[in-house]
Amino acid sequence: MATGNAIDPIHQFIVAPLAQIRIGGIDASFTNASLFMVIVLLAITFLMIVGTAQKAVVPGRLQSVAEMSYEFVASTVRGTTGTEGMKFFPLVFTIFMFVVFSNVIGIIPYTFTVTSQIVVTFALAALVILTVIIYGLMRHGTHFLHLFVPSGVAPALLPFIVLIEVISFISRPISLSVRLFANMLAGHITLKVFGAFVALLLGSGVWAAISPLPLLGIVALTAFELLVAFLQAYVFAILTCVYLNDALHPGH
Amino acid sequence: MASEDRRDGEEDQAMKARLEALSAALDRRQHDQADRVDAEAANLRTGRAMSLGFRVLSEFVAGIIVGALMGWQLDAWFGTKPVLLIIMTMFGTVAGFWNVYRLASAPTGSQGGGTRPK
Repeated sequence: MATGNAIDPIHQFIVAPLAQIRIGGIDASFTNASLFMVIVLLAITFLMIVGTAQKAVVPGRLQSVAEMSYEFVASTVRGTTGTEGMKFFPLVFTIFMFVVFSNVIGIIPYTFTVTSQIVVTFALAALVILTVIIYGLMRHGTHFLHLFVPSGVAPALLPFIVLIEVISFISRPISLSVRLFANMLAGHITLKVFGAFVALLLGSGVWAAISPLPLLGIVALTAFELLVAFLQAYVFAILTCVYLNDALHPGH
Repeated sequence: MASEDRRDGEEDQAMKARLEALSAALDRRQHDQADRVDAEAANLRTGRAMSLGFRVLSEFVAGIIVGALMGWQLDAWFGTKPVLLIIMTMFGTVAGFWNVYRLASAPTGSQGGGTRPK
C-alpha cells in the first residue's frame, strides 16, 4: 500500500528466516513461523505437564484449564463419533490445542500467527483427510468407497452423483484449511487497518478529534477475534471428528 | 414475666426480619445466577450459529472452487479449453449445494450423534 511500514497490513504475515539452515539444497531455515510454532508447543506442554502435575482433587487454575480442555475435546469426540472414535482422541486433541494456542497467541501484538499461513492449515487438513482415507481403506477395504456411491440411486444418475460426491469429498480439506486461514488473515488485517486509521487521523489536524472511534473499534474487534480464535479451533476439531466418523462408519 | 414476653416478641420480630432479609438475598442471588446461565446459553447459541455460518459459507465456496480447478486441469490435459471448465464448475456448484444440504439436514453438533444421510 503506502511507503511507510506503519500502513502495511500484510507485513505481519511475512515469513522471515531467523537462522539460515540448508539441508541438501532444501531451505530448512528456522523462521519466525518456526519460532512461534515452538512457542505454541512449549505453552501447550507447559499447560499439560505443570497443570496435571499436582493431581489435586480440587483443581487449581492451571489444572482446571488442563482438565477443561481435555473434557471439552473428549465430549466433542464422543458426541460426534461415539466411544469408538476415542482412539482418535490424541489426534483431535493435538490439532485442537495447536490451533487454539496459535490463534490466541497470535492476537497478542507483535506476535506471529502460525494459523494465518495456508501452508500450516492445509498441512493440518491434509493430515486429517489422509488419516480418514488410510484408516477407512484399512478398516473397511473397498467398502469405504461406498462413501461415494449412495444406495438407491437410479443407475442413469449414478455417474453424476459419484462425480458430485467426489468433488464434495475433495472440497473438504480445502474448506477446512481455507476457513481457518481466511478467518485469521482477515481478522488480523482488519485490526491492522483500524490501527492505521488511528495513526492517520491523529496526524491530520482537526480530524484527530474522531481518532478514538477506530480505537474503540479495535477494542471491540480484539474481543471478537478472541471469540473467532476459539470458534475456529472448535470448528476445526468438530469437523475432524465428523470426517473421522465417515472413516469409522462409511456408507451411512 | 411481662417484660420477658415482650423481649421474646422482640426477638421473634428480629428473627423474622433477619429471615426475610436472608430469603430476599437468596432470591436475588438465584435470580443473578439464572441470568448468568441465560447469558451463557445465549453466548453458546451465538457461537453455534456463527460456527454453522462459517461452515456453510466455506463448504459452498470450496465446492465451486474444487469443481472449477478440476475442470481447468482436465481442460489442460485434454485440450478442450473452456468446455470441461464450464461443466465441472456446474458440477462443483451442485456439490457445494449438496454440502450445504447435508449440513442443514443433520446438524453435527455435540448432540447430533454424527449421523448423516448418505
